[in-house]
Amino acid sequence: MIELQNVTKYYGNFRALDGISFSVAKGEVLGLLGPNGAGKTTAMRILTCFLPATSGRATVAGYDVFEDSIEVRRRLGYLPETPPLYPEMTVKSYLKFIADIREVPSSKQRARLDQVVVRTALGDHLDRVIGTLSKGFRQRVGLAQALLHDPEVLILDEPTVGLDPNQIIEIRGLIQDLAADHTIILSTHILPEVSMTCKRVVIINEGRIVAVDTVENLEGKGGQTTRYKIGLKPVGLDWKNAIEGVPGARIEHETVKGDLVHFDLCLPPEGGYEKVFQAVVAKGHVFVEITPARASLEEVFLRLTRSEENGASEKEVAA
Amino acid sequence: MKILAILRKELQTYFYSPAAYIVFGSFLLIVGYLFWIVLVSSKVANLEPLLYNAAFILLLASPVLTMRLVSEERRSNTIELLLTSPISPVEIVIGKFLACFLLYLILIGLTLQYPAILHAYAQNLDWGPIISGYIGLILLGAAFIAFGMFASSVTENQVISAMITFGGLLLFWIFGWAKLVLDNTLGEVMSRLSLFERYQEFLKGMVDSGNVVFFLIFTITWLFIATRVLESDRWR
Repeated sequence: MIELQNVTKYYGNFRALDGISFSVAKGEVLGLLGPNGAGKTTAMRILTCFLPATSGRATVAGYDVFEDSIEVRRRLGYLPETPPLYPEMTVKSYLKFIADIREVPSSKQRARLDQVVVRTALGDHLDRVIGTLSKGFRQRVGLAQALLHDPEVLILDEPTVGLDPNQIIEIRGLIQDLAADHTIILSTHILPEVSMTCKRVVIINEGRIVAVDTVENLEGKGGQTTRYKIGLKPVGLDWKNAIEGVPGARIEHETVKGDLVHFDLCLPPEGGYEKVFQAVVAKGHVFVEITPARASLEEVFLRLTRSEENGASEKEVAA
Repeated sequence: MKILAILRKELQTYFYSPAAYIVFGSFLLIVGYLFWIVLVSSKVANLEPLLYNAAFILLLASPVLTMRLVSEERRSNTIELLLTSPISPVEIVIGKFLACFLLYLILIGLTLQYPAILHAYAQNLDWGPIISGYIGLILLGAAFIAFGMFASSVTENQVISAMITFGGLLLFWIFGWAKLVLDNTLGEVMSRLSLFERYQEFLKGMVDSGNVVFFLIFTITWLFIATRVLESDRWR
């Protein structure tokens, strides 16, 4: 559905993208991950025909973004990083304008508008002036704009940036919803977002792809330890021995609050959590919390995006 | 119709923002004042001095109407929306031009009260120069707006856009003065490029097809350049 072949982009002498290639299958949700300034927005702008690539080729639904840009634009819904809104318009007149320039036939505009408004939960706000809306609502109007012409492909540039936690959850839910019948590219620098919404991830740093893989595989590559957040109500003081008696098990970040102990349990990659838990329970201690903390995508990300320049120093730290 | 959608949106924006009202208000106030001064001092039912001055006031006012046309889209990143929609720069430019031109026509239309007043009180008012003067004013407006559109397309800063428009139009206005110094072909060419010289002929009651064509070409040229500037975003 979407394909980039060896795409390079220079801004003057600055190389923003350096030979990027990846493809997205129909119906797939791909996460574009990278630190700020990595080239995510540039890649998306090339795909949406806003910017030309300096060299290389990009196609959407079989159409070249440069040669057949209008066909590409017909099939795309795009939410830029700052939602492109006209603050003086009302939500309704704005969406009507979008429907017109996105070539939604006037006979279908009503129905499309109703659907999109339901999906983005904007129903009660249609007559409000966009300039008076909160950031979360603006983001929803931005999404509504991208969905209005029912595009096959959605390109969302950091759709949750700057939102409060509730709004983030709403927008993520909406994206998961959309994933059922759209091909989506989503850029972000927030990792949980990727593991929640995407199947596959492209990690870019300084204009180059450093990894393309599924979320599971990347998490697997992550760390050498498996981590659990543990809350324990110990009887007596020998709970530490029970854990550390199991080979490879370590306790980190230990805190005591009242009669509860909280800590991170670090296990070797081959696991062994059964032994630890059995040993602890056998001594009569009570677990109040066991949370697998596999936040290791963070570690992968940091390792991959830092490795090139800091390769040497990081090895020293590791040693 | 995508051009209509742009036109409608631009008109909405004009009427939501105070700029259009301020331009309308101050223009009508000044023109009304001038009408009174000219009429009472000369005691002649002649609209020429008024139209002569109105053109210059419009030269000052039109940058305010055109400055945000494209600049504001650039500044607020809505240009990204327009250029990633299946709409061509030509449609964007024409839609915006028509919206601003329509506003201009309304503004000019509101001054028709003055010939009407003259008509009511003066015997055998000469309508010829008035009609040709208004034709000139309309063509002049198209030229002003087209140039302003170009100036707006090259910058995301409305103030700079207005200054380019104002400076450029003023230059085209006074090009004719070169004739006073240069008694050669260059002087002649420059005076033929002058918007003011051309407009003056309309005020005298002449609708010269050469002048009409000049204004049309002037308008189309700047609109075309504005279109190319917008397009160039996509291949730069």
